[in-house]
Amino acid sequence: MAHFDTEYQRLEASYSDSPPGEENLLMHVPEGVKSQWHHIENLDLFFQRISFLYNFDICLKNGFTCMLFGEIFELVQLLFVVGFTVFLANCVDYDVLFANKFVNHTDSSKVTLPDAFLPVDVCSARIRDNVFVIFVLIISGVFWLHRLVKFIYNVCCYWEIRSFYINALKMTMSELPYATWQEVQARIVEIQKEHQICIHKKELTELDIYHRILRFKNYMVAMVNKSLLPVRFRLPVLGEYVFYTRGLKYNFELIFFWGPGSLFENEWSLKPEYKRGGNRLELADRLASRILWIGIANLLLCPVILVWQILYAFFSYTEVIKREPGSLGARCWSLYGRCYLRHFNELDHELMSRLSKGYKAASKYMNCFLSPLLTVVAKNVAFFAGSLLAVLIALTIYDEDVLAVEHVLSSITLLGVCITICRSFIPDKHMVFCPEQLLRVILAHIHYMPDHWQGNAHRYETRDQFSQLFQYKAVFILEELLSPVVTPIILIFCLRRKSLEIIDFFRNFTVEVIGVGDTCSFAQMDIRQHGHPAWMSEGKTEASIYQQAEDGKTELSLMHFAITNPQWQPPQETTHFISQLKERVHREATGAPSDTHPMSLSESEPRSLIANLLTGPSTLASVHFGRDSSLTNHATAGISDGASALRSLSPISSSLHLRGSLSAAHRAAGYTGRAMAGSGTDARTVSSGSSAWEGQLTSLVLSEYASTEMSIHALYMHELHKQQSRGELSRHTWHRQESDESSDSIPDEVRSEPNHHSRNFPRSHTFPTTVPSPSAIPTSASANNPFGAGVKIVRSARVPMGGWAEDGQAAPRHHEPLPEESSEDEMPPHIHKVNLLSFCVCSCNINLPVFTAIKWIFFPSLSLTLGYIIKPCQ
Amino acid sequence: MNCRSEVLEVTVEARQVEEAMLALLHTILLHRSTGKFHYKKEGTYSIGTVGTQDIDCDFIDFTFVRVSSEELDRMIRKAVSEFKDALSNSGSDGMGQISLEFYQKKKSRWPFSDECIPWEVWSIKVNVVNLANEQERQICREKVGEKLGEKVINVVEVINRHEYLPKMPTQSEVDNVFDTSLKDVQPYLYKITYQITDSLGTSVSTTMRRLIKDTLAL
Repeated sequence: MAHFDTEYQRLEASYSDSPPGEENLLMHVPEGVKSQWHHIENLDLFFQRISFLYNFDICLKNGFTCMLFGEIFELVQLLFVVGFTVFLANCVDYDVLFANKFVNHTDSSKVTLPDAFLPVDVCSARIRDNVFVIFVLIISGVFWLHRLVKFIYNVCCYWEIRSFYINALKMTMSELPYATWQEVQARIVEIQKEHQICIHKKELTELDIYHRILRFKNYMVAMVNKSLLPVRFRLPVLGEYVFYTRGLKYNFELIFFWGPGSLFENEWSLKPEYKRGGNRLELADRLASRILWIGIANLLLCPVILVWQILYAFFSYTEVIKREPGSLGARCWSLYGRCYLRHFNELDHELMSRLSKGYKAASKYMNCFLSPLLTVVAKNVAFFAGSLLAVLIALTIYDEDVLAVEHVLSSITLLGVCITICRSFIPDKHMVFCPEQLLRVILAHIHYMPDHWQGNAHRYETRDQFSQLFQYKAVFILEELLSPVVTPIILIFCLRRKSLEIIDFFRNFTVEVIGVGDTCSFAQMDIRQHGHPAWMSEGKTEASIYQQAEDGKTELSLMHFAITNPQWQPPQETTHFISQLKERVHREATGAPSDTHPMSLSESEPRSLIANLLTGPSTLASVHFGRDSSLTNHATAGISDGASALRSLSPISSSLHLRGSLSAAHRAAGYTGRAMAGSGTDARTVSSGSSAWEGQLTSLVLSEYASTEMSIHALYMHELHKQQSRGELSRHTWHRQESDESSDSIPDEVRSEPNHHSRNFPRSHTFPTTVPSPSAIPTSASANNPFGAGVKIVRSARVPMGGWAEDGQAAPRHHEPLPEESSEDEMPPHIHKVNLLSFCVCSCNINLPVFTAIKWIFFPSLSLTLGYIIKPCQ
Repeated sequence: MNCRSEVLEVTVEARQVEEAMLALLHTILLHRSTGKFHYKKEGTYSIGTVGTQDIDCDFIDFTFVRVSSEELDRMIRKAVSEFKDALSNSGSDGMGQISLEFYQKKKSRWPFSDECIPWEVWSIKVNVVNLANEQERQICREKVGEKLGEKVINVVEVINRHEYLPKMPTQSEVDNVFDTSLKDVQPYLYKITYQITDSLGTSVSTTMRRLIKDTLAL
């Protein structure tokens, strides 16, 4: 090989002398480089953890320490529960305990507790012989170890994130719970400028961060929105049923996002072959066979998962049920509901706070539908049970020997439970039946609902559909328990058939964003690409029916994102859309007749939005209900409907906790005034820089107002949509097809298309069918619709729904952390019960130690029953 | 991934593989190496000099410049010849990919091992063709030379952009950024990996890792 040496030869290696002119050549490492926060490998995970820690801190003040201790205690508790259960099942001689068998003692006739215990060797032999117990023990052992490892791992990870908060974001852990997410985010954006945690871009935008945190969730939301996931089923007895559990969701994610051979190559990019349309059939086949295998694996693992689920449910819920037995009758937002109601780019805590605010109204709405007959029966059963119970308790209080009589204690407990159940069927005496209005209030918080609910709020169909979003806690738990059995069936028989549609979905709706990776194109919230002509993006959207997001998801998500992140700079057209809409809302809001001073806090008709917000808390919601329902009745025709929608918001404003000082309220009102003006939205962010307590308080108040602003916009958009859909009813009839009859049910309008592309392709309705323009459909669509024109469009009675699960612990927490959920009768129930109990103890002067013992053993049931009996007497 | 990735594609004859790979890898490394740092204080250092060398290829009409460091050359040659052997042994249509990954190390606390975080990945896709006669080989020889020249300019363009580079480290951290094992030159930490067919997909190990991570996540 020809070897040519240039004159740039290296000097000999052993420098002891410095290079010439060394003084000038000295380099200095700039200060502040030592931070370890530059260039993070997995930004998705990193941002997710930041957001998670933030969520945690919002829920529990001083989250990190609480998490630590809570987890440790839970681990100990778990160990105890398993050990104790096994002990009770195997090592106790119940014959001795129930005095069926006689123990011959020489010294005394008393039976002591140790007498009832079996000797250790007998006990261990019994355990060893019982295969089922061994099985349960092994599973729970694995479960426990898993929790332990998880705990240690999480502590390590979150310790790191915590130090990121403290060192890089310069926030102390004590002020974090009071900071808004927007503040945290603004600081992350700042950090990027300095440390370049993401190397592709000089600056991060808010949307980038959201995209990274919610990459897969956005896909799930979009798939639910387009009814792609098989979660709705038509069952023979139950009718239409939505089944979506955590197990199912886990499997979906496993298949799509990260399992072996999933569609995603890694966390941020779709595999290249899925981006090309060429071999979609082959890919669909592959996906179908993978789904089959995963389904079979699920089937095989079914017993293990089942035991696991039972243990999990037992340990998670027994405590809750013991604490508040009524919670089983309470409702919670279903997993499906959370997915259906979620905006694109909405973080967990934003969704949770929104849904929690809607909780009260939603449960009120559901309670409207209690059957009167059932109520009468329940009242009477409660009466008889109550009287029996009262006698028993009175006797017990008189002489505790009554408790020694066989089955007295158990009957007391049973009667107590019976009364509790009955009470859940007895509606509140002060309940006003106005479902339409309640549904509006709910809508203001949940932001989405199918069109056919409006005006049909009083119907049982609507209620049933709403209950798919808002289910009984007990049903939720039951579904979770059933999930291991049902999941494989759904995977094998329903999801497999959709494989082609899924492949098409991922190909068509994935965009690559520089510095973020592959994201769901819906999450870009581009009106032009995914807008729905019936939702105010008429003329702006170029989306085909296949491309448009249903239920105005794009538009509402866009508004939501713009309102929660006022510093976000959307693209040109989007900005135009937002400002136009804001202006319209503002005009409607102030255009309402105002002849008195807007700030007057009188009980008069609310004049303007701001006055409305301020007077809200002082007026009774029911007053508004009455007035507004009459208003909405005659306002449906005119354009003033928007105004009425705004006015009907006043019940919401009552939920705004303006319990601070009057001055604070005034200042906040000033801010809102500016925020409402559309231009002044940045007022909310004024405080983001300051770290003082005051600043945080205002920023909290302002974020509260942001959510109200969003409610107003959501209501307004729904109202406009309603009018629009009445005007030209056919524009948005994209009939969702039954998720369980995928390929056979090409709707008539599509089938009748003469030059239809799916002729050449295997049929799949999600494959873009290049329908020339939405206006081509109306005629066939209305023909398809039995109600014909003039009637409100009933887009197939189905509600689009889908899945997103989250930790089970969060579910029962729903309505707790909210400050505004504090009316008089909703004081923590055991407070006055404890008082009552101690009152009884004092007044009756009974044997105190015995009573305390009883109290501790049967505290829940006893205190409850006492509470229920004596409360009506007061 | 939070890293830049650049893809270069070349079509060569079997005997040219080694030289073509060496030419490209050396070109990249030439721009991603510095002289040895000599620290005076914790945050102050001077940079040693680096020599360069022109290398003529035997099977391609091409000359490239590389850092004149025998050690570095040996390491790269080793990786490339492994790749070449694997490629010729695979017996398939002769598709392969060699990637040069620059990474940073991040020291972790005790239970975890050090993280290697890539910040730039160069993937060179190789397509091996068989030629029938000498005349075609002669044409190929010239054409590959031209192509490689284009690629080198391409590389230089990419490197000239003002994009993320790890910040210059202090003495204690120099091992996290630079490969300090060579005595005459100091490239950024790099790793050469190769892959013969590109249809490997998600390997079992990544899935397992993900599975474990996912079950551990709160």
